[in-house]
Amino acid sequence: MTDQIREQMSALLDGELPQGEVGLLVRRMARDAELKRAFGNYVLAGESLRAPGGVVASQGFAARVGAAIDAGEVLDTVATPVPARAPVRWRRPLAATAVAASAALAAVLLVRPDGGDDQLFAERSGAPATPPVLTLPVGGASPTPAQNQRLAGYLVTHGQYATPIGRRNVWSSALATDPSIEPRVTYETVEVP
Amino acid sequence: MRRGFAAAALGLVALATSQAHAGSPTAGEWLQRMTESLASLNYDGLFTHTAGRQSETMRIVHRVEDGRSLERLVSLDGSGREIVRTPEEIHFYMPDRRVVLVEPRSDEGSLLKALPAPGPRLDELYRLEVSKGNRLLGREVRVLDVRPRDAYRYGYRLWLDEKTAMPLRSEVLNVEGKAVEAIHFTKLETLERIDPHELEPAVDATGFQWVRAGKRAEQRVVVSGWRPSKIPPGFRLVATRTQIVPGVPVPVQHLIFSDGFASVSVFIEPGMAKGPAPPESTSVGSANAFSTQVRGYVVTAVGEVPAATVRDIATSLAPVDEAVAPAAPAPDAKNR
Repeated sequence: MTDQIREQMSALLDGELPQGEVGLLVRRMARDAELKRAFGNYVLAGESLRAPGGVVASQGFAARVGAAIDAGEVLDTVATPVPARAPVRWRRPLAATAVAASAALAAVLLVRPDGGDDQLFAERSGAPATPPVLTLPVGGASPTPAQNQRLAGYLVTHGQYATPIGRRNVWSSALATDPSIEPRVTYETVEVP
Repeated sequence: MRRGFAAAALGLVALATSQAHAGSPTAGEWLQRMTESLASLNYDGLFTHTAGRQSETMRIVHRVEDGRSLERLVSLDGSGREIVRTPEEIHFYMPDRRVVLVEPRSDEGSLLKALPAPGPRLDELYRLEVSKGNRLLGREVRVLDVRPRDAYRYGYRLWLDEKTAMPLRSEVLNVEGKAVEAIHFTKLETLERIDPHELEPAVDATGFQWVRAGKRAEQRVVVSGWRPSKIPPGFRLVATRTQIVPGVPVPVQHLIFSDGFASVSVFIEPGMAKGPAPPESTSVGSANAFSTQVRGYVVTAVGEVPAATVRDIATSLAPVDEAVAPAAPAPDAKNR
């Protein structure tokens, strides 16, 4: 793997890869199993930072990342049960490879890195274990005024219970950002076989 | 030889301890000083708030009256929105929508008033360091780094005025150390007295829709009802209550989680009559929100934490008891 590819993958994870290069990189990873695996490990390195208690990710995680990169399969899996949802931006046809990249990225960021994180949490808490799941973005839409108002209300309320520095950040954001600017991303959750 | 090494080590520990107590304040003490200053001083400042590619100038006026914080935070660019904390209520003026959201104030200083408190528990989650910084606004500055030990919480870099411990600049950092939100004061005055008129909104709200939440008396503490089966490490449920939230037509259950520095609110309300909606996420500055449906209820987690944290907390909740009793604390609640 060249330094250029490594830098591109890093930029992709940071959301800083130019749109034109996203498609090229994703197509290349879809063709190249080695590159796909390397990308999975690359993501894994980042994700391991958030793995509680030094949990080691399973080998299956990289494979699931690879599957997620193969965005066509992923979107097929989740799009079929929810054909009526609208508006949906991230939907076939998959000519827009940037869309596939977004789905893949969101998928790898939402898959638990150890494939058994839920199990570990469950053991600690006594709760029943749940199978590993893949949470995938399947749509996005601008919120309605009612949704905006609801979120604004939540932010105001939450700010009262935050530390002074946290409150200032949350309330400043509520003032500065109209939530309608930020699309609400919807997800579908599927069990990983 | 071994005895000599041990003696030297003990000497170093003693030296470090004596410096911490007799000399310059520790990072934890700076953190505590900052929190106290933000809540207890009178100040008037202008700052730039930056999140993503959006940057906006804001003004903050903070006045302490009879031991209570009164505050006005106003956007000087764009929307002209304001948040005003009066002695009794919070008013959120949204002139761009011609709406004012009104909510009763919670207990003074909030449930997390005493936090963050330096201590072993905070040390398990964050690494605190303080160093000398370059001057800002003509003042000597200490740089306080609050680095999370995992990715379930954000880090902070705070430039504190050596004299007052007020943050002159702050950054919220993601796990990679990149700033996701920044506040940079261009002017900050701490004052003996602030004129009450400075806390009056500039917005003429005539004709606006006033959306009021319920009164304080309608807020009740919930014995139980919803509990997490698993939450990110370090977070714990510190309080639960039922309350009215402005803009939400029905009473919601409100659960508050904290790791001692960051906090997450979870709001639980009955689901929509039209049926379940898919999970959704959104972000507002460094705050993230995640909403999902659980057994016919809409569960929304909001907090100044990464998206994964609000998602994990929201999806871990389940109802355990529908009983609600007035003014009875939850077993692990800290109602201060």
